[in-house]
Amino acid sequence: MFMPASATLADDQPATVIAAPVAKGPATGLADSSALRATLFGTPPQDIAPMPATVPLVEINVRMPWARPVPAIFWFDGKLRVYFSAQDKPAPLAIVIAGTGGDGNTTFLSTLRGALYGAGYHVLTLPSPTYPGFIVSTSSTGVAGDLMQDGQDLYAAMQRIVAHLPGKVQITDIDVLGYSLGGANAGIVKSLDANEHKLHIHRAVMIEPPVSLFDSVARMDKLFALSIGSGDAGVERLYQKLYAQLANLYRASDRVEIDTNFLLTAAAAVLNTDAEFSAAIALIFRIDLMNMFFAGDLYAKTGVVVDPRHPPKVGEPLERIERILRGKPFAEYFTKVFAPYYLKHRPQSTTESLVAANRLDIIGDALRNDPDYYVQTNSDDLILNKSELAWLESTLGSKIVVYDHGGHLGNLGDRQQIADMLDMLAGRWRGAAQ
Amino acid sequence: MRILHVVLAFALGLGGCASQDFVIHRLPPETPAADNAAAIARAEALAKDQQEVKSEQPSGEEQAPPLTPADAPSMRTYDPWERFNRFNYRFNARFDEAVFLPVSNAYRRLPSPIRSGVYNFFGNLSEINNLINYTVQGRLGRGVRSLGRFVINSTIGIGGLFDFAAKFHLAKAPTGFGTTLSKWGMHPGPYLVIPILGPSTLREGIGLLSDYGVLYGVNIADLYRGDQSWGLGVADAVDTRANIHFRYYSSGSPFEYDDIRFLYVRRLLLEDEGLHKKIVRKRPSRDVPAGR
Repeated sequence: MFMPASATLADDQPATVIAAPVAKGPATGLADSSALRATLFGTPPQDIAPMPATVPLVEINVRMPWARPVPAIFWFDGKLRVYFSAQDKPAPLAIVIAGTGGDGNTTFLSTLRGALYGAGYHVLTLPSPTYPGFIVSTSSTGVAGDLMQDGQDLYAAMQRIVAHLPGKVQITDIDVLGYSLGGANAGIVKSLDANEHKLHIHRAVMIEPPVSLFDSVARMDKLFALSIGSGDAGVERLYQKLYAQLANLYRASDRVEIDTNFLLTAAAAVLNTDAEFSAAIALIFRIDLMNMFFAGDLYAKTGVVVDPRHPPKVGEPLERIERILRGKPFAEYFTKVFAPYYLKHRPQSTTESLVAANRLDIIGDALRNDPDYYVQTNSDDLILNKSELAWLESTLGSKIVVYDHGGHLGNLGDRQQIADMLDMLAGRWRGAAQ
Repeated sequence: MRILHVVLAFALGLGGCASQDFVIHRLPPETPAADNAAAIARAEALAKDQQEVKSEQPSGEEQAPPLTPADAPSMRTYDPWERFNRFNYRFNARFDEAVFLPVSNAYRRLPSPIRSGVYNFFGNLSEINNLINYTVQGRLGRGVRSLGRFVINSTIGIGGLFDFAAKFHLAKAPTGFGTTLSKWGMHPGPYLVIPILGPSTLREGIGLLSDYGVLYGVNIADLYRGDQSWGLGVADAVDTRANIHFRYYSSGSPFEYDDIRFLYVRRLLLEDEGLHKKIVRKRPSRDVPAGR
């Protein structure tokens, strides 16, 4: 079943593994075909958990009192956009955080919202701290990607939003959830609340979180380099290939318009091999990264693509900057924006300590000892390697469930994942072998 | 005087909300169960479609050879009016936020049979324009289909409120003068963001004007002239907006203008490739931005 795709994703051991127990799960840490396919195409609609007929929804735009001046080029991101679904009776509140680059209303969030609302929760969905709208409106640094800093910003934003929810909403309990990077964020937020008690967060469910942020992203960089090639030339080659394939498919079909249906058909016809799955996944991730890179460079005045003395003005062409950023891996964000900024602002820190501070180890004790942290993950998750999965398993004990398949988020919303998530949130979870 | 009031209300609408720290917008409720059922149906239809696409492929004669990656146009887009376009894009985003979205969100709370009636009604009116354009494009079979759709839906479909023709395997296939110009060999031309309407190119902009001109000229049932034409235009605009699932700057990204431009023009170019199946194209030069 598992066909390790040549050396698509070599299982590089992170330098900072702390006493990693021996792997016992089937995690390969390698990208196999089914994991890539699941990651790209997501949960098939027929496997999605039962959903309610209607879910009420409001959008809330919040200006944060601590917000920094909004750079002209980000004029549209001055307020944080979050989404809220209220029950008409007293109910627990589930706060859900998006994954890397995600806004407050991604398809994943919408799926989780449906399931949670159907199970009787008020649901508040928040963007990722790496989403440009969050960086501009809410981040206190403008340089996203630091677990603790992002967690503090998220926690502050949650307090402000919860305090201002419409008066009729009666909240009996508060839980936090998140998927992917949002899962790690949710864990951090709960640990902050355990000290500050501002929200009295009860349980945290972390759905397919990374263990080491930078190692996970490094894996995506590697996927990009292997499947697309380095720099913008690789992207251009990929584009030319896709364009020709799409044009030929479209000519062969008897369609009048290129619409969603055609694109969905085409995606399945054009993306067939592991290399093509990998390229698509890597490119989607890279596009998310570009915004964070741009914003970080602008705020930290590090001058990689944005001249700090002449930041781009509203209405100025940005194609050149976009082209440069397309070719830049996350490693460059770390070495040229993130590390310089945080080394300057935390004089006692080193590059190594910054990397170490972005591992879930920083809340390892809480994950181990507090019964209210839960993790759901997959043995073939692209963002984990063997030792990271083993660390999660040994740390969480009975509070983790590891599914055999799903790649990264390729099973979010399926019946089992949702049923287990709801059990965990409600305190009914008795371990994976129940 | 009345115009002054409108302008004043408009300015307040655009600027007024900005000062509040906590603003709540009510959105239409989500319908996850029905959406998922629709996704399952679509997945099944797509699986069938894929079979068809595969079996259709080598219909050979007369066709130009398949495109190779070297035939792809440049990733850059021809946009000589970029500053003007970016200004319009920003205006459109603000207009959408202040006017279009609130109205279309309210509209989307109406029962779905009413909305689909409105949608079908305007779709049916545009069949006249489709018929004329398919005819001048020399695609007579498609023209006859449009005529058939118009006749069936105007009668059995009660003035176009129901799309019965689709049930008789005459699916909707919109076209317009922009496509006609393309068929005649015109390039998309410079990218153009039209106020309120959004992304376009010079060719498509001319096409839109002509399409409206045709509807105005034919003036079926006297709908397009006189006082009621304003109400009709607004209803058409709201219906169109309510059926486009796009939110300005939901990407949060400073590159949104560039990304939309890229995707819009690539879609147009791909549709052009479909129109010119038999023509052997000249290889695009790598230095010339796409669309020129």
